[in-house]
Amino acid sequence: MEVRVHGRGGQGGVTCAKLLAGTWAQLGKSVQAFGDYSGERSGAPVRAYLRVDDTQIVNRNKVYTPEHILVLDPALLDDSSIAGLAPGGTVVVNTPDAPEAIAARFPGYRVATVDATAIARKLGIGSRSLVIVNTTIAGAFCRAVGLPFAALEAAFSEMHVEKDLPAAQAAWDAVRVCEAQGTPRAVAAAATGAAVLPLEAHDVGPPPGLKTGSWRTSFPRYTERDAPCAHACPAGNDVIGFVQALAKEGPEAAAAIIAKTSPFASVCGRVCPGFCVQGCNRLHYDGAVNTRGLERFIGDHAPIARPDQAEGARKAVVVGGGPAGISAAYQLARAGWKVQLLDGAERPGGLLRSGIPPWRLPRDVLDREVDAVLAMGVGWRGSHRVTPEEVAAFAKENDAVILATGQVKNVDLDVPGRELNGIEQGLDFLRGTNRNLSSQMRGHVVVIGGGNTAIDCARSALRRGATKVTVVYRRGRFEMPAITEEVEEAMEEGVEFRFMRAPVALFGDDHVGGVELVVMEGGGRGAKLVATAERDWIDCDEVLLAIGQIADPAALMPATWTLRDGQAYDGETALPVFAAGDLFRGEGTVAHAIGDGARMAAIARAFVGEGEGAPHRGAHAPVRAREMRFSYFTAVKTAGQHKLEPGERVATGAEVVEGLTTAEEAERCLSCGHCTHCDTCLAYCPEGIILRADGGYAVDLTQCKGCGVCAHECPRGAIEMVTA
Amino acid sequence: MSLQLLTANHAAAIAAASAGRANRGARGFGSGVYPITPQTECIEMLSGLDIEKGSVIPVESEHSAMAVCMGFAMGGARTFTASSSNGLAYMAENVFAAGAYRLPIVMMAVNRTLGPPWNIWVDHGDTLLLRDCGWIQIYCEDNQEVHDLVIAAYRLAEDRRVLLPVMVCQDAFVLSHTLMRTEIAEQEKVDRFLPLLDLAHRLHQKPITVGGLDFPHETEVHRRQLGEAMGRVGGVWKEVQAAFQAEFGRKLPDPVMPYRLDDAEVALVSMGTTASTVRVVVDQLRERGIKAGALRITMMRPFPGEAVAAALAHVGKVGVLDRDVSPGLGGVLWAELRGATGLPMVQGYMIGLGGGDVRPEHIARVADDLLGRTAVGQPMTVEVA
Repeated sequence: MEVRVHGRGGQGGVTCAKLLAGTWAQLGKSVQAFGDYSGERSGAPVRAYLRVDDTQIVNRNKVYTPEHILVLDPALLDDSSIAGLAPGGTVVVNTPDAPEAIAARFPGYRVATVDATAIARKLGIGSRSLVIVNTTIAGAFCRAVGLPFAALEAAFSEMHVEKDLPAAQAAWDAVRVCEAQGTPRAVAAAATGAAVLPLEAHDVGPPPGLKTGSWRTSFPRYTERDAPCAHACPAGNDVIGFVQALAKEGPEAAAAIIAKTSPFASVCGRVCPGFCVQGCNRLHYDGAVNTRGLERFIGDHAPIARPDQAEGARKAVVVGGGPAGISAAYQLARAGWKVQLLDGAERPGGLLRSGIPPWRLPRDVLDREVDAVLAMGVGWRGSHRVTPEEVAAFAKENDAVILATGQVKNVDLDVPGRELNGIEQGLDFLRGTNRNLSSQMRGHVVVIGGGNTAIDCARSALRRGATKVTVVYRRGRFEMPAITEEVEEAMEEGVEFRFMRAPVALFGDDHVGGVELVVMEGGGRGAKLVATAERDWIDCDEVLLAIGQIADPAALMPATWTLRDGQAYDGETALPVFAAGDLFRGEGTVAHAIGDGARMAAIARAFVGEGEGAPHRGAHAPVRAREMRFSYFTAVKTAGQHKLEPGERVATGAEVVEGLTTAEEAERCLSCGHCTHCDTCLAYCPEGIILRADGGYAVDLTQCKGCGVCAHECPRGAIEMVTA
Repeated sequence: MSLQLLTANHAAAIAAASAGRANRGARGFGSGVYPITPQTECIEMLSGLDIEKGSVIPVESEHSAMAVCMGFAMGGARTFTASSSNGLAYMAENVFAAGAYRLPIVMMAVNRTLGPPWNIWVDHGDTLLLRDCGWIQIYCEDNQEVHDLVIAAYRLAEDRRVLLPVMVCQDAFVLSHTLMRTEIAEQEKVDRFLPLLDLAHRLHQKPITVGGLDFPHETEVHRRQLGEAMGRVGGVWKEVQAAFQAEFGRKLPDPVMPYRLDDAEVALVSMGTTASTVRVVVDQLRERGIKAGALRITMMRPFPGEAVAAALAHVGKVGVLDRDVSPGLGGVLWAELRGATGLPMVQGYMIGLGGGDVRPEHIARVADDLLGRTAVGQPMTVEVA
């Protein structure tokens, strides 16, 4: 029994023949498998052969009269590939087409088809640029010719390709067979052996051009893909865009890009956890690009970017002057709306002002960006608590009302002794402290909680003169929601931590003097957190509670109103009232608040038929680290930011982290998924058919054989291979 | 006995590694390697195998690969390398030296057409170029033979009556890259079959001169010694065959392998994988009532002239199928066979040059031509591609 495999260089036809040989060998047959070796250019038509017998095989010829034919690329299916096939023989083809369509072209043969390319692509088989179908189609072949799957499975295992077995199984399940009908047409075998010219025939010129484009199963396409930094930014900042602009054009151009999505470059560059930094592909090479530091550099070094502001007559009220509310007001003002911003506090900023200590966010920095928003014509009314009746009135008088009051209710601790003096909610403590850092504290301060508020409380207490500060958290260090660097800084400053402890009682005569703790267990990834019987104790002089806040949107809305997807409804009537930021979503960071404020502003505009609605973000997968070719880049360490010595920080209350002094760090951006015209593709194309054109590149598709070298070599994942 | 689906390249690598390990109780194993299509798979695999007291050294050329082997061998290690085609041509100077130094090196040579113009397919011209270098040459017919002959070659080469390097030759792609089920020799059997190498003239404590100036008389003696060693190969080979069969239960090929020759009136002589196809054609001719037979030459050096002459003495018409050509002469095998046998009716054919797929119908054409002849003509090339 003989089988002939028709494939293209790089598709793995020889391995396919070997796998099938291995399958027959499992059944005790004598087998022989070999390829048609030549100048193996990827994409060139190649053949492989398989011979199976009950006795020792002595025939070493190629296969001219096969019983079965296996075709890896349907473009190779023609008379020359069918030549010699025994009448009634099976043709197995990798194609999405139905077998009947192929059978109609080749009467007298059994035809089996399967879309092995789709299966292999779905299961991620192949290189980063090309799908490899050989293992997949082996499953379809075995079913079509009646080989047991168990034998194929054993062969996969013997040849160490077990991981591809699910693909073979999928092809086994998906293959469709059309029985032979009619009688085969006579086809001539392809002529072999070109004429060889005599020595003296000098004047024949070069050989005719070979249009290798016909070999192609896929071709390269230049594409712009999402960079992971921008993809990760909850505020929707075009991180790669502003970093590249900073590198190429300077802070002003970069600031203009940030201004499209956020009014808070200097603020976010200080207080954001840095989702962009955590997402940076360079993290997997020589350290993430310090994009947060660069954002701060841009905010601090460029004049406030004045975005284009449209003219309009629409009006909005924004309730809540925190980052979500300011972001919404900012975006509406940009769209030409007249916006009134209301808040219970005296000055705008919300938690940025009341919750974040000035040594993390200096107030002049905050004021500069907040004032710039007000300078766009946004009206401010502070020290005013809005009632549901007022909100109902706003809804009637305005084109939109945005509610962004955040999470205002503190979660309290329900344990005996809570009524004692010396126990304060952390946010209240911070609000007071942030107004007046110099008011003195003494003794041992215990902070309950593991978020940023807890850390800010602990560090503020130290700065106010506490002798000792201990943070008590019910889970472990790496489960803390607080920003890691802030935790590290707190430790440097002398804050102590007790992990896996939760308070069960507070003791003291009148003023708190001690906390009884229960020792916790579990709580790590996937493990349930449970209290043990073990107890612990801390003597203390003050207790600060930082165990979270919750939103209370009902307190802002008339009783008949409900929120659906962030929009208020009175019964079934949709109102132009929208909830943004922590009030509705509770994602908890400034970046999320900015993103959600802008999103709800866009939705509010869309509700009155303006704009394009909320931008669709993150629809496409960003370029991942394994798609990058780090070997093209020289390793350079991340530019860090100088920090004050712990003693100096605590003593002076000055800003802890200094900004970057130059924008050099922007040069480290690898421009993931964004072509930089580096010419790597052009240099590596083995056919030399990538050319510079129209500020980019053009591929000569008459010659491109779809080898995928350009996509494979692209340092930044900006070329994808597309099936022809 | 483990049965594995292997290419002959891999079968050779596994065999060399097991032979290498078998010398771990003595001076170990060393190999200098340089890749060339279609041999590369072999040294790639060898480089990755775990060989106790063994060292596989990648070098910058075939010339150095053989130099490394000579160094190892002079130090008493068991040695192996592999090459092909132009790689062998580049290696030639040291191939000759290894023979002259009487170093029991084993080389797996994949027969490939010499370029330019470049051709990667089978042709025996490359190893035949080295036929006068003082090496034993054996040509394989299937994957199993490649594996077995690499192991057996050490026992032959290292025998003190022989002390000659051995070239185990196999056809490019037809064997080197073709997957067939191959029985792999178990290490403990190889350990028993191959004695530890104790090379009498290895570099050791007593200073000796290697490769100094040879005056004419010394050269005469050295050449004579080489010839005498070659003369003892046939006898030692019989012992190796017997020992191999006793240990592994498989037969090693004889220097010449007759097929249906006893009453043959016409015979086709060939080497390598062509011999398999020739046997198919002999059976077809017999079915047509033609008394045909075949002779496969396994050992090209030392040339088994007497055995060939004896096997063909009664055959009226002999056709020699060379997969090589010596321009201005004809096939090398044909010329040697004619000289060794003195038979009157030995017609030369060159077939499958440059790797053409020699099919039964091509050989049948040769047989028909031979049957129709009444006298020997010029050697003729049969085009198959």
